[in-house]
Amino acid sequence: MISYALFYLIAAFILLCSMMVVVSRNPVTSAIFLVTDLFFISALFAKMNAHFLAAIQILLYAGAIVVLFVFVIMLLNLKAEELKGARMTVPEIGVLIVSAIGFVVIAALLGADGATTGGDGRWTDEAITAAGGNTFAVAMRLFVNFVWPFELASVLILLAIVASVVIARKDSLVSSGVGSTAPAQGKGEKGKVAHGTR
Amino acid sequence: MEQLTAQLNEVLGMFGLALWNDAFVQVVATVLKFAVLAVALLQIPPVMVWLERRAPALMQRRRGPNRVGVSLGPIKLRLYGLTQSFADAVKLIFKEEVVPEGAHKAFYHIAPIFGVFPAFLIACAIPYGPPIDVFGYTIPLSIISVDVGFLFIFAISSLAVYGVTLAGYASNNKYSLLGSLRASAQMISYEIPLGLSLIPIVLIYGTLDLNKIVMGQENFWHWGIFTAPVSFVIFFVCMFAETNRAPFDLAEAESELVAGFHTEFNSAKFAAFFLSEYVAMFVLSALCATVFFGGWQNPFISNAALASFVVGILNAPLASFGIALGAASVTNIAALIGIGVLALKAGFFMWMYVWVRWTVPRFRYDQLMDLGWKFMLPLGLANVVGTAFVLAALKF
Amino acid sequence: MNPYLPVLVVLVFGIVLGAILSALSFFMGPKRWTKEKYDPYECGVPMVTSAAERMSVKFYLTAILFILFDIETVFLYLWAVSFHQLGWFGVVEVSVFMIILVTGYVYVLRRRALDWD
Repeated sequence: MISYALFYLIAAFILLCSMMVVVSRNPVTSAIFLVTDLFFISALFAKMNAHFLAAIQILLYAGAIVVLFVFVIMLLNLKAEELKGARMTVPEIGVLIVSAIGFVVIAALLGADGATTGGDGRWTDEAITAAGGNTFAVAMRLFVNFVWPFELASVLILLAIVASVVIARKDSLVSSGVGSTAPAQGKGEKGKVAHGTR
Repeated sequence: MEQLTAQLNEVLGMFGLALWNDAFVQVVATVLKFAVLAVALLQIPPVMVWLERRAPALMQRRRGPNRVGVSLGPIKLRLYGLTQSFADAVKLIFKEEVVPEGAHKAFYHIAPIFGVFPAFLIACAIPYGPPIDVFGYTIPLSIISVDVGFLFIFAISSLAVYGVTLAGYASNNKYSLLGSLRASAQMISYEIPLGLSLIPIVLIYGTLDLNKIVMGQENFWHWGIFTAPVSFVIFFVCMFAETNRAPFDLAEAESELVAGFHTEFNSAKFAAFFLSEYVAMFVLSALCATVFFGGWQNPFISNAALASFVVGILNAPLASFGIALGAASVTNIAALIGIGVLALKAGFFMWMYVWVRWTVPRFRYDQLMDLGWKFMLPLGLANVVGTAFVLAALKF
Repeated sequence: MNPYLPVLVVLVFGIVLGAILSALSFFMGPKRWTKEKYDPYECGVPMVTSAAERMSVKFYLTAILFILFDIETVFLYLWAVSFHQLGWFGVVEVSVFMIILVTGYVYVLRRRALDWD
């Protein structure tokens, strides 16, 4: 009984945080609400006895990806939205809240069979200990059953590395190949970019 | 009384507990352990601040604060400046807090929180001693014992970046922003070698759980520093970079960007950042001691042997009172000795922090980033691969 | 008992402690308004430029490379835990993984993407 209540409590917080992410005017506020959102999702994982996934959620998502978001927001110097009329009206907020609650209730009525909420599913504490612990169970499945996706994941990461380096190059094709003003422009760009690191 | 117990049992039954069953005792023990740990952790910054002022003073042939003491009426105890920290703390609390104009109000007040709670959370995951035996219940001496020990610590320490980033963003000061961006870039750059350096430890001891790693270091020659020396070097260097301490403290160096990301934070918020920095230092020192230096294990004599020796000595005079200390006392005294040993080792690394800070000049920022990405990262990767091949050759 | 229950307790305590420290001087310190006190700090001289300067793109690159190498580290942790069970098969598997990633790393080095000038 308590595990059901806990699930709905955490789910309510997740929905609340997600709404605040979308509704906030300041992008950094959105990012911080995203962090709390991911925290609660990690709590949901921990509740389902998936401790490894909970830790990885915090480590990668909240601790790396949202940090990237925050860095980019600060690099681009994004300000809060200044449109006076961008505020949500009360009826709109009401519709959002009611639809969120309605969604949760309908999902609960249609899908809840006890196996998705709480640790009552296949992976109870005993099953996990029998499989050698959380991380071990995940590792064995990854390296024995899913070898090819694992190697392909490394290729994906390589792709991402190359792509990010190409995007962030100082001498992009645009500024270096445009006629006689190119060298001065290139040097000016370089000087301006380097100034920020002093 | 009986009715009260029955009602209590009913309430606890909803949570899967019952009065005085093992789970309930563990919950109570957790709260108590945490209270003790929190109080102990809060004593560290004052002592460290005193050390940070006395030690460099003596190294630089001057005195440092050595007058502040305690006076109880006619008795004046000259404590060589130990109480200076308490005077500083009181001063910091009563200073005026100046919220800069144009600062982001919410983040300005929240940023210190993001610095404080990761430090305390990690401090709870470290095993402080062997399990103690109280009234027949075995209570482990680490407050958070999940089976993904290392990953949990790693995950929470990556949240500490937010304190720095938000602090710089919240102040309406472009030097603070720049300082905080640089500090957070430094912290994330050194998190990867930190994580990579601990992988050989997992390979060698075969587990992520810190308790089991300490158990695996019973033999002195199985200590982490002998089985994974390169890991220790990498971890030691990254330890300094993670806490923004010398020689990696360019982002908060006093001669550079004034005080970097915490320029606009004064009085108690500054105290909060300071507190989080020293607690993080202690936590990383304790982690280093746990993983590489055997944690609460003694070098050659085991804790249990020492404890039974002590109990043997104590039993002689106590026998005349009719009290005989049994096996439970041996376990508990062994645990106390273990806590003392860990505190000693962590203290040694805290001293190393101070020593290195006041001995070595600081890195320039690009040298710092070069060290992290171009030296530590490949070294960490090579370390992992090398350890793997050596272990595989030995075992398979 | 779920091992994450103490995590919740410690989390709440950490946040409360931080909040108390944060609020302490706000409520206990004096409040005397002087214009110079509230200006952004620039070593004591009046403000020279406004706080709207563009930062280098190196930070973005550092953050993205951090994510990618962090993912690699997580995979390596997974492998390290199951090392003894997997034997040489696991070593070969992870060596392929690492070779591909080291190629990426060498690309980054040769491209001078991580050089801070």
